[in-house]
Amino acid sequence: MMKPVAFEYVRPETLAEAVTALDHDDARIIAGGQSLLPMMNFRLVQPERLVDINRITELERIERTKTGLRIGALTRHANAARDPLLAEHFPIVAEAMGHVAHVAIRNRGTVAGSLCHADPSAEWPLLVTLLDGEIEILGSDGHRSAEPSEFFLAPLVTDIEEQELVTGVHLPLPAGPSGMAFEEVAQRAGDFAVVAAGAMVRVENDTFAEVRLGLGGVFDTSVRARALEGALTGQRARAEELEAALPLAIEDLEPNDDLHASADYRLSLVPVLARRALIRALHRATQ
Amino acid sequence: MTDATPFTRPKYVGTPVRRLEDPRLLTGRGRYAADIQLPRMVHLAIVRSDQAHARIIGIDTDEARALPGVIGVFSAADFAHVPDIRAPSRMPNYQATSCPVLARDVVRYVGEPVVAIVAVSRYIAEDAAALIDVDYDPLDVAVAAREASDPAAPRLHEELESNTVFTRRFSAGDCAAAMDAAANTVSGQFRLTRKTSMSTEPRAYVAEHDVGKDVLTLYGSTNVPGIVRDAIGRLLELGGNRFHVVAPDVGGSFGGKGSLYPEEVIVSDLARRLERPVKYVADRMEELTSGSQAFGEEVEATLAFDDDGRFIALDADILGDVGAYSIYPWTAALEPVQVAGFMPGPYRIPHFSATVRGVCTPKPPTGPYRGVGRPMAVFALERLVDKAASRLGIPPAELRRRNLVNAEEFPHRTGSGIVWDRSGFQECLAAACSAVDLTALQAEKARRTDKWVGVGVASYAELTGIGSRISVAPGMPMNTGAETAAVRIDSTGAVSAVFALASHGQSLETTLAQIVAEELGVRPRDVAVVQGDTALAPHGTGTYASRSAVIGGGAATKAARALAVKVKRVAATLFGVDPSDVQTGNGDIFVPGTNHSIDFPELARLVYSDMSTLPQEARETLEVQETYDPVFGTTTSSTHVAVVEIDPETLHTSLRQLVVSEDCGKLINPMVVEGQVHGGVAQGIGVALLEELKFDDAGQPITATLADYLVPTSAEVPDIDVVHVETELPDNPGGFRGMGEGGTIGAPAAIANAVADAVAHLGVEVNSLPITPNKLHALIAAASRQEGQE
Repeated sequence: MMKPVAFEYVRPETLAEAVTALDHDDARIIAGGQSLLPMMNFRLVQPERLVDINRITELERIERTKTGLRIGALTRHANAARDPLLAEHFPIVAEAMGHVAHVAIRNRGTVAGSLCHADPSAEWPLLVTLLDGEIEILGSDGHRSAEPSEFFLAPLVTDIEEQELVTGVHLPLPAGPSGMAFEEVAQRAGDFAVVAAGAMVRVENDTFAEVRLGLGGVFDTSVRARALEGALTGQRARAEELEAALPLAIEDLEPNDDLHASADYRLSLVPVLARRALIRALHRATQ
Repeated sequence: MTDATPFTRPKYVGTPVRRLEDPRLLTGRGRYAADIQLPRMVHLAIVRSDQAHARIIGIDTDEARALPGVIGVFSAADFAHVPDIRAPSRMPNYQATSCPVLARDVVRYVGEPVVAIVAVSRYIAEDAAALIDVDYDPLDVAVAAREASDPAAPRLHEELESNTVFTRRFSAGDCAAAMDAAANTVSGQFRLTRKTSMSTEPRAYVAEHDVGKDVLTLYGSTNVPGIVRDAIGRLLELGGNRFHVVAPDVGGSFGGKGSLYPEEVIVSDLARRLERPVKYVADRMEELTSGSQAFGEEVEATLAFDDDGRFIALDADILGDVGAYSIYPWTAALEPVQVAGFMPGPYRIPHFSATVRGVCTPKPPTGPYRGVGRPMAVFALERLVDKAASRLGIPPAELRRRNLVNAEEFPHRTGSGIVWDRSGFQECLAAACSAVDLTALQAEKARRTDKWVGVGVASYAELTGIGSRISVAPGMPMNTGAETAAVRIDSTGAVSAVFALASHGQSLETTLAQIVAEELGVRPRDVAVVQGDTALAPHGTGTYASRSAVIGGGAATKAARALAVKVKRVAATLFGVDPSDVQTGNGDIFVPGTNHSIDFPELARLVYSDMSTLPQEARETLEVQETYDPVFGTTTSSTHVAVVEIDPETLHTSLRQLVVSEDCGKLINPMVVEGQVHGGVAQGIGVALLEELKFDDAGQPITATLADYLVPTSAEVPDIDVVHVETELPDNPGGFRGMGEGGTIGAPAAIANAVADAVAHLGVEVNSLPITPNKLHALIAAASRQEGQE
């Protein structure tokens, strides 16, 4: 079964038209189509209407705001990977994009598509979780925004309501110079992560002013290792301190068990990738 | 040729002639079965069983039939006139299974065809399929082969005595006594999990019935059109002049398109009944759940050897999980029996004993897969050889050197009865090992802490180009040992070479053209190789089992050679010289040192169209058909060396180096040979590290998409060093040995040995493939728990 059921296709030119087009019992947005189309071909989802937002070019922009960067919903993974603003402020994005599938998929797939698909192993949900991003949403009642912890509810489940669409994500700039690093273990190059880790480290006066560690692939949604983050903040900015805090990364963590990786194997990867990401981030923060 | 410059005839055989099929295939101009569009064509979708073993209580098709665009809905009762597919064998202790084209009463695996729906589009056919309700009464299952082999296990086929559909024993010497007397033994229980061929192009079939002429044509992505023609011809009672099977461009098979499939019978029959062309294209999920599968074997084996490392005896117990039906025509015995057959490998092992059983399980049937039997045999034996080397403290390569059959010992008969003709067993081992700096690697292994480095060697021999005296599959009453070539020069002077072979990636349009060009004295691009169409040849089975170069190439050599004799005879009459003075080359026919020269079009014109220049009796038809049967077969040998690096923390395994040395006799085209090695090794990497079809306890497949069934990509395949070794040429017309499968035979064992070498210090053994980081993690955890207890 690799043929979708029949559906209605509409292609709005503006955001307003898109919101109107979404006024339907069973409408889905299509952007890059890299997750939706396979699910439709398997008939796992059978939307009656597809709303194609690819013509709404205002959603493709990556722009500076007063407090950070705003990444438009339609930004392709490949464009995010080579964007100069992102490279300057969030070099971890380009690093992570190297792990997103293959070139053809990176050329089509979009930031919002990845966020809305909400695969717990995907790179964008982890990046947004790590970077305290705010997901911007437009609906018939106007704009709203959601924090990652509110947005990602369960595997493939988000807080998006019917008749809403994600217009972009806002990434606030770190409070000072920082180092970031991304690590991932996948079965093959380009596969969904078995475990991924993203780290952000800010050092002031030889101490950790801020440490963030995000983990993907481990649990139902991307998570932050808050216990580790809290314990390290204020400590001397040394690799030994990071090492010592690693057990906190797996505290209370109950990883998923699936066809590809046992919970045990996943659990064994978490401190490894956490250490590699944190140490590289520390190194970059103190360069 | 007006001057006396000695004419050096181009040597096409042995040169890397660019593939003649590439311009077509690489620019999207190939024509595959799915590309075929015919007027009034309708589309087939299949409702497949979602139960591993169940009785069909009822099928409700009313809603589906009522859907606009649906032409017909068919179940088993609608195919009552088609006999069940049964694969016969002369093998004693063999039970054939009855496989209806659509499941009748009972389904025996998830994916088995139950209902066929024909509609004006595949979309509508799929919509209708979703409306069909099959009511099942689940039956007990024994999913694992060992469980199913228990006489008390639920029987998959009520009419059979047991699930064990064959048992065969091999014995040479006195294995038991030799084992008892031996100074040393090593044992192991080895397993290759199920996998599938996964060609780029899924199976696709289009059947067209020319009602006026009463000729049925099946266009199919198959590598055995002759076998399909003969089989469906029998099932539907059609002669070969009323039923043709055409394999157009075929995008890979690796064995998966080498058996008869129910869908081929269904589209053929429905095209006649509906008087409309019927198309079926398998989707990827159907390929993963209903294409023939591979391996699913366990081998328990013991190797006995003396203190100098000389092998004395080998004992093996082989259990094959053959799936729901014994596949046509090869039978369920094809793969497991050849595990036993190739188990003694390229070594001198005086005493040999093996028992092999095949057990029906509620899973898709197993069938041919690149390497047939050899990958499992080589994996098990080569692991044992490494364990023996470790036991004696002898380097693995040295232990192999001591036991490989030496040049002067050929022909060598193995304990299973295979006779190896002279092939470079020792030479390949030496060549592969000299391409790797084993000493430096040992030092690096000891020094490095950031990676576990491992080196693995695997040597093997295989029988290729198998002639009529040996069945490709045990007891199969079908001659797969002969092929025919018809080479002709038509009245335009163009050369065609017609075969019953069916290239599906082997480059036969190039390599066979090289052979014909070489013998006839034209250029490869002047030769059109015509193949894959049963209307063009009286008999021929297709391309599989590393046979096309040896058997097809042999027939091509004989036919082109004989045609060259005719050409020279005609030219000699024309020139007034002796035929032995005439030479051909580069498209010219000439007498060296004279001004006698003519090209092929001119010769053809004089023979066919000009009624005055040549006397009537000299105007021979420029066509020769020759059949070649090697009677036995010829041996191809190889050694693979793999170097792996494992990240001690993530257990990610990367292949750093892979060396393949092979003796495949005379190379027709080194580039094509290397391409075959590269592709085979890539598949071998899948066997070793990635690919596994998994089933749950109820027999449900849980790897039904390419997100879960992982095949190697270019990122997982390293550069591969190929070293060609040519020893004595085999006794066949071209001096060729088959080599299309070898990459898949040697690589899994070499990689397994390399991984085992890398993790040996942890007390972990590699006995089951694929070995994934997840599995390594579990093995290491178990080993460290065990160590903790001791």
